[in-house]
Amino acid sequence: MPNAASNSAGAVWSVLRKECRTEWRTRYGLNAALLFAVASLTAVSFAAGRLGNRTDIMAALFWIVLLFATLASMSHAFVREVEARTMLLLRLVATPTEIAVGKLLFNLLFLLVIEAVTVPLFMVLMGAPPVRWGDFLAVLLLGTVSLAASSTLVGAVIAQTRGRGALFAGVSLPLLLPVLAAAVGGTREMWAANSVAPSLRLLGAYAVALLAASLLLYDHLWED
Amino acid sequence: MSGAVSTAAVRLAAREISHRFGPRVAVRPVSFDVTSPGVVAVTGENGSGKSTLLRILSGLLRPSRGESTFEVGGQAIEPRRRRLFTGLATPELSFYEEFTAAENLAFAAETRGLPNPADAVRDALEQVGLTPRADDRVSAFSSGMKQRLRLAFAILHEPSVLMLDEPGSHLDDAGRAVVEHIVQTHAPRALVLIATNEPREIQLAERRIELSGRGLERSS
Repeated sequence: MPNAASNSAGAVWSVLRKECRTEWRTRYGLNAALLFAVASLTAVSFAAGRLGNRTDIMAALFWIVLLFATLASMSHAFVREVEARTMLLLRLVATPTEIAVGKLLFNLLFLLVIEAVTVPLFMVLMGAPPVRWGDFLAVLLLGTVSLAASSTLVGAVIAQTRGRGALFAGVSLPLLLPVLAAAVGGTREMWAANSVAPSLRLLGAYAVALLAASLLLYDHLWED
Repeated sequence: MSGAVSTAAVRLAAREISHRFGPRVAVRPVSFDVTSPGVVAVTGENGSGKSTLLRILSGLLRPSRGESTFEVGGQAIEPRRRRLFTGLATPELSFYEEFTAAENLAFAAETRGLPNPADAVRDALEQVGLTPRADDRVSAFSSGMKQRLRLAFAILHEPSVLMLDEPGSHLDDAGRAVVEHIVQTHAPRALVLIATNEPREIQLAERRIELSGRGLERSS
């Protein structure tokens, strides 16, 4: 029997490729997320003009756009499987942890693609002041990992429940508030030329805690 | 073919297994002990719990009461690892409609870690007669073709235990012949369980597990 670790890595890679292929063929989330990001930034730009000196508002706006552009799509990673009745197929070919880690990596990739479009657009339309790239990317990366981990975890937990939509909002809120607070705080401090270390520590600790909790929980998901 | 496939003897046993979904009794207490190779029919009225029993044996569902044993080569396999040795074709199994038949099977083969996924997919599609439609999207498949694809999915990794739940449903005569061929080719080396009430499929089995009850009873 092949090495279990290499088998698991192969299964995770296979699930990730399947997610990418599904997204590419259906454009289920990508188009909606990009449309939201572009439309909201354009609307704010028309209404308020460039916010160059209001870095506190810009920091909040930046993370709100990212959050809403991606959250609705990411929460569907598992719901889609349940609604298309493909969850049984997945459960027969991979462990819950392999499935969830594959989907987590896809959500991370999805967020990075959205950010690749949203960040430059935001900088241009909002007239953002120059960023300290090291600090900015660190906050962005840790915030992205936390967002992806929390939405994947909540999506996995609620996938087979009734009233998934309402549950997702209710369960996500307490998990996402610390991420948003730390990410907005870090981005604001970066623009104010202050240290982002406290925000990075909080985001890092939260990301590690979420990932650890996820790995512990995933194997017990969907046990009837 | 697969790393998880074993030609070692398989033993499936149940001791007073029963299951209920809330107040509804899905499987009344049942006990049996079967070993490979061979074909076993699981029969019983509609709602007697044939499909639920297969889900329990394959490790997808934990029984409310009783114990199930799944041994390969004398070693007990815990429920979460049983899927490695089991090929399950059930009406509840659906595929990714935006993928072709070959892509669905390739995904399953790669995720299962089969050493030669392309060969496994080609062999499985050939056995169920879907080779000419391999590159068609599943969304364009009829119910009979989807049923053939379920059979291909179940035999893809040459499992030690093949569980076929209503294998002839939606199939024409040619499709039923495919089912018979699959059972006959796997029976000499694997344990084949067929959940059915079709006389033609029951005749393929040497042994039988009869489930009692209609699954409609409620108990407090």
